[in-house]
Amino acid sequence: MIPDEKVDAVIVGSGAAGSAMAAKLAAGGKQVVILEAGPDRNAGHLVSSAIWARRLKWGGAPVIEEGENHVGHVFNAGWGVGGSAMHHYAVWPRLHEEDFQSRSLYDQSSDWPIDYDELRPWYDEVQEECGIAGDAEQEIWRPPGEPYPMPGVPLYAQGEILGLGFEKLGMSTAPLPLAVTSTQYKGRAACIWDGWCDAGCPIGALANPLTIHIPKAIDAGAILASRSPVTKILTNQAGDYVTGVEYATADGEKKRLMADLVVMAAFSIQNPRLLLASATDQHPQGLANSSGTVGKTIMVHPAALVYGIFPEQTHCYLGAFGGQLVNQDSYGKQTHAGSGAFGSYQWMVGQAVKPNDLLGIATTRPDLFGNDLHAFMTRSAQHFASMTGVVEDLPVAENAVTLSDQSDANGVPLARVTHTTHDSSKALWAAALEEGKAVFEAAGATEVWTGPQAGMHIMGGTVMGDNPQSSVTNSYGQTHDIANLVIAGAGLFPTSAGVNPTFTIHALTARAGDYLLGNWNSLIP
Amino acid sequence: MRAAAGSWRPAYKTKVPQTRRTFLRNSGVGLLTFYIGGCEVEMTPQEAREAEVAFRVLSDTEVATVDALGEILVPGAAGAGLSHFIDHQLAASPEESLLMIRYLGVNPPFAPFYQGGLAAVNALSQTQQGKPYAGLNRDQQTEILGQFAQSNPDGWDGPPGPFLYFVLRNDAVDVVYGTREGVESLGIPYMAHIEPPSRWGES
Repeated sequence: MIPDEKVDAVIVGSGAAGSAMAAKLAAGGKQVVILEAGPDRNAGHLVSSAIWARRLKWGGAPVIEEGENHVGHVFNAGWGVGGSAMHHYAVWPRLHEEDFQSRSLYDQSSDWPIDYDELRPWYDEVQEECGIAGDAEQEIWRPPGEPYPMPGVPLYAQGEILGLGFEKLGMSTAPLPLAVTSTQYKGRAACIWDGWCDAGCPIGALANPLTIHIPKAIDAGAILASRSPVTKILTNQAGDYVTGVEYATADGEKKRLMADLVVMAAFSIQNPRLLLASATDQHPQGLANSSGTVGKTIMVHPAALVYGIFPEQTHCYLGAFGGQLVNQDSYGKQTHAGSGAFGSYQWMVGQAVKPNDLLGIATTRPDLFGNDLHAFMTRSAQHFASMTGVVEDLPVAENAVTLSDQSDANGVPLARVTHTTHDSSKALWAAALEEGKAVFEAAGATEVWTGPQAGMHIMGGTVMGDNPQSSVTNSYGQTHDIANLVIAGAGLFPTSAGVNPTFTIHALTARAGDYLLGNWNSLIP
Repeated sequence: MRAAAGSWRPAYKTKVPQTRRTFLRNSGVGLLTFYIGGCEVEMTPQEAREAEVAFRVLSDTEVATVDALGEILVPGAAGAGLSHFIDHQLAASPEESLLMIRYLGVNPPFAPFYQGGLAAVNALSQTQQGKPYAGLNRDQQTEILGQFAQSNPDGWDGPPGPFLYFVLRNDAVDVVYGTREGVESLGIPYMAHIEPPSRWGES
């Protein structure tokens, strides 16, 4: 039951950021309630099927998408306990030092309010807690940090073949750092590399919230309430602090949960939606929005999709959904400056694939149907290979979440999100594809083709920074305007970098949680 | 304080159900529920097709059109129960939907997209051949499909033709290649942790 009385902290959202913050605060002795908009989840829901896995994708209030390059909200967001981390692929590289200082070093993009050295201890802490498989020495691009606690993921034929392509071009590869158990780890079973990561790993091999932080939070006394969508963040009359949240029950009744601290961890679109929808006379632009930047600078990594057919058997159904190898040779921000590009990218090499669904074999050739499709499927099943570039999406203020004039069943205005990729990022995406095709050709592919620009990982919208005039929060996610209103998750990222965001979400959340616990009395009204 | 929202256990302590029946009992997720004579009956879409279970959203014309399109897109799709799969998922709540359209940029409800698209296909077929799509021969069906798969034909009144093609093709791929039987037919081991309750992945 959600308590009637005031609690120490209410956390809105139970994904990677929300569950990790709940575990941290509850372990620190705080009374914590997590309100999750979507349904309950347990391991039994994680059916091994690319069709069933769609239920883990966003199923809440529609988001209206505009602009040339949609963020793909439903595909990238999650629905239910565990959020999008329930279907994430657990590719957990660290950001590089230069990712934190793009403006200072290159006079482009933005700086973070912290540098790598500041965040490093929490990368190391989370890495030990959640377990990452990798090879720190072989990963020559990796910034300083503790070595991985588990050996690198195994290499199957697809990875060997593509790795050879990189080698022939004088490029390097290393085991892809994955938050997946390559050995038994802290009581968790070792992965059996069957490629069902996207369907929500029910055996605990992949570090998703259901495996790591939800049980920790519950064991430390936190209360988790599903089907409890928050409809408004509440403030005192003067508007100088938040008092809790209003939420809807399953039968549509509106209730209130009062709390000393409110943590918004509802992902990059719903966080700004709720901040904007909670406007008051004292905060007419929405809460925490005196800077006017709430909702702005939404980013999504353009995925560079490269496919090929090889004469050899690739065993492309084995491994992890994220891949087997990583290459970051083109991580330098100015590597492709000659083509008008700016930013970083990495390759995730040798993904385990299924025949169907958006990332399945059949969808890579949407032009084929009938007997041609069947012939393609038959020759691909044993000989297909793929890799994906995670391309930096430069921050653009106009890529933003605003409120629609339509509302959901609870009366909350819908989010409208506009996103058009920066020209320099488009150029980088195109340069990555050319490099990717060259790798496949060097590896001996008999057919090579690429996919359209697709968006993965939604970031920004509640960006952190040192300047209250141009950012929403400080480096701990504490909003500049309201001391006891905190934001957690990828929405804080000032830049997208060229790597997957979830490890950094965890490191930021762990750092913020320690800060909140250490400074509790100064934060709470 | 213990959880209010169900019995949370770390996933790795959960015994993975070994049988379909055990899974169904443990997860509370059943087969497709069809309605026959006012009674609820659980069966797979293929069984539903063989039993001629009534459709809940799609009309007879729409069913015939879906099956005809499905056979051109992915041979075997009609017999695999494509129309029952789509029909049942359109009758489900959007958050429960297993159709790929849920993350292709179309906001729910999804039925108007399908029904508008199928009507446009039949209108095109009537205009050009004087018959509904299902009444055409295979070459004619392929020719009509080729028209709207590339761009909106003249007079097209429905969702964008190429996108309709993409959506229907994905649904047909799901039922033919996305099931255990379909995956294994390509020589790929299925390797389920938790078995879908039928070859369809329906609820």
